[in-house]
Amino acid sequence: MTDVVTLRDLHKSFGPLKVLDGISLTARAGETIAIIGASGSGKSTMLRCIPLLEVPERGDITIGDETIRMNTARGGRAPADSAQVNRLRGQLGFVFQSFNLWAHMTVLENVIEAPVHVHKRPRNEVVDEAMALLEKVGLAEKCEAYPAHLSGGQQQRAAIARALAMRPKALLFDEPTSALDPELVGEVLGVIKGLAEEGRTMLIVTHEMGFAAEVASRAIFLHAGRIEEEGSPRQIFAEPTSDRTRQFIRRYLERA
Amino acid sequence: MDLAFLGETLLRLASAIPTTLELAFVSVSIGLALALLLALLRASSVIGAACVRAYVFVFRGSPLLVQIFLIYYGLGQFDAVRESFLWPFLRRPWWCAILALALNTAAYGSEIIRGGLAAVPAGSIEAGRVAGMSRFTLYRRIVLPLALRQALPAYGSEIIIMVKSTSLASIITITELTGTARQIVSDSFRAIEVFVCAGLIYLAINFVLTRAVLLLERTLTPHARGVPR
Ligand SMILES: Nc1ncnc2c1ncn2[C@@H]1O[C@H](COP(=O)(O)OP(=O)(O)O)[C@@H](O)[C@H]1O
Ligand SMILES: [Mg+2]
Repeated sequence: MTDVVTLRDLHKSFGPLKVLDGISLTARAGETIAIIGASGSGKSTMLRCIPLLEVPERGDITIGDETIRMNTARGGRAPADSAQVNRLRGQLGFVFQSFNLWAHMTVLENVIEAPVHVHKRPRNEVVDEAMALLEKVGLAEKCEAYPAHLSGGQQQRAAIARALAMRPKALLFDEPTSALDPELVGEVLGVIKGLAEEGRTMLIVTHEMGFAAEVASRAIFLHAGRIEEEGSPRQIFAEPTSDRTRQFIRRYLERA
Repeated sequence: MDLAFLGETLLRLASAIPTTLELAFVSVSIGLALALLLALLRASSVIGAACVRAYVFVFRGSPLLVQIFLIYYGLGQFDAVRESFLWPFLRRPWWCAILALALNTAAYGSEIIRGGLAAVPAGSIEAGRVAGMSRFTLYRRIVLPLALRQALPAYGSEIIIMVKSTSLASIITITELTGTARQIVSDSFRAIEVFVCAGLIYLAINFVLTRAVLLLERTLTPHARGVPR
């Protein structure tokens, strides 16, 4: 199987705070990887390093077969070629916890924005594809609505359609349902589950353990900026080998 | 009431409306472009920010009338100015007024746009970056559209202030609305009627402007209106 996203020995600190302490991970085509861990364990930071929203001090990021080139300059480490970074970002789809739709654009305009203005694809071709994607996430009839007039669940489904419109090699989700009212979580998880069944390559940071157990092909437990344990969701949730994983799962089950 | 005189006055004043509107339109247009540059410069670097702060301090902190005088009477004192290609413009009162008005509104405008830029949600910027947008595309498609929409109501007030400020141009011999009114007064010695008429015309212009800005706001920000889900 081909490797879609490869992280090699990522290190990242914010000031004195070490957040990633040597993360290596490969997502192969068609895999759905669930990333779990306590709040503050570095899940978001790790995910944000992939499109270089955070720049790791050490380590390499490879998208497809292209490794992001870095320079170590006076002010620290930075990408050597911003055009390369932009191009590789254009091969990913990122879904934020807080949706981050563009408020001045309709749902449809949000979805076609990057394909038209970043990928420079012909507008009418993109619109057709975007409408099909909105259909898929159940928002076709809301295509002319503005984000402010949508519920949180609808906004997140629009954001997923926007990510899919990138024709991404991999989809990255950072707690896609954490900002939603409980009754809206299901509709978003349903859409993501559908994507997993299509065989999309996905990395999903989530606290929805039942969902992770159901859709993930692999689960990763992060602790203090390291991968503490990794395995099939079954193994991680039912028979964790690490004490920390066991503790985390037990605490989660007690709360639920 | 001398209706015939009022009618005649309104007619003569009306002939000066184009000059007033032209002064306002040209200076606001130049001022807006300059304000945008200043706001972006202010956000770009520490040195840029310091220069823009100094500029804003000077042009916001001193009276517009003084600025008009300095440009009209002052610039001609410098040989460099008199010998430059700008002199054919700067020797004319009209362009001096435009220059002063534009530089002045650019100072206020840059502060308004700065407020708009500060109000752009960080998440919207991040969503643009993560989609692979270049800096230029990000500003053109996301940051500026959001910032300018945010700034529009305050900018509307600034435009209205500018319409009123054009009256100061009458001091340097420009016969716009207020200048024409002063001429009529010196001919007729009927100050109250004439200036009431002039005031009414300013009110009418600004009433139309206020409506126009509101309409623009409505068309540009349908997302900000309360529409049921
Ligand atoms: N931009 C930042 N500046 C400073 N500290 C940060 C920043 N982003 C995250 N952190 C800190 O890094 C740690 C890990 O954060 P994060 O990756 O968001 O964890 P998680 O997503 O697992 O909850 C936290 O302690 C957080 O406060
Ligand atoms: Mg997080």
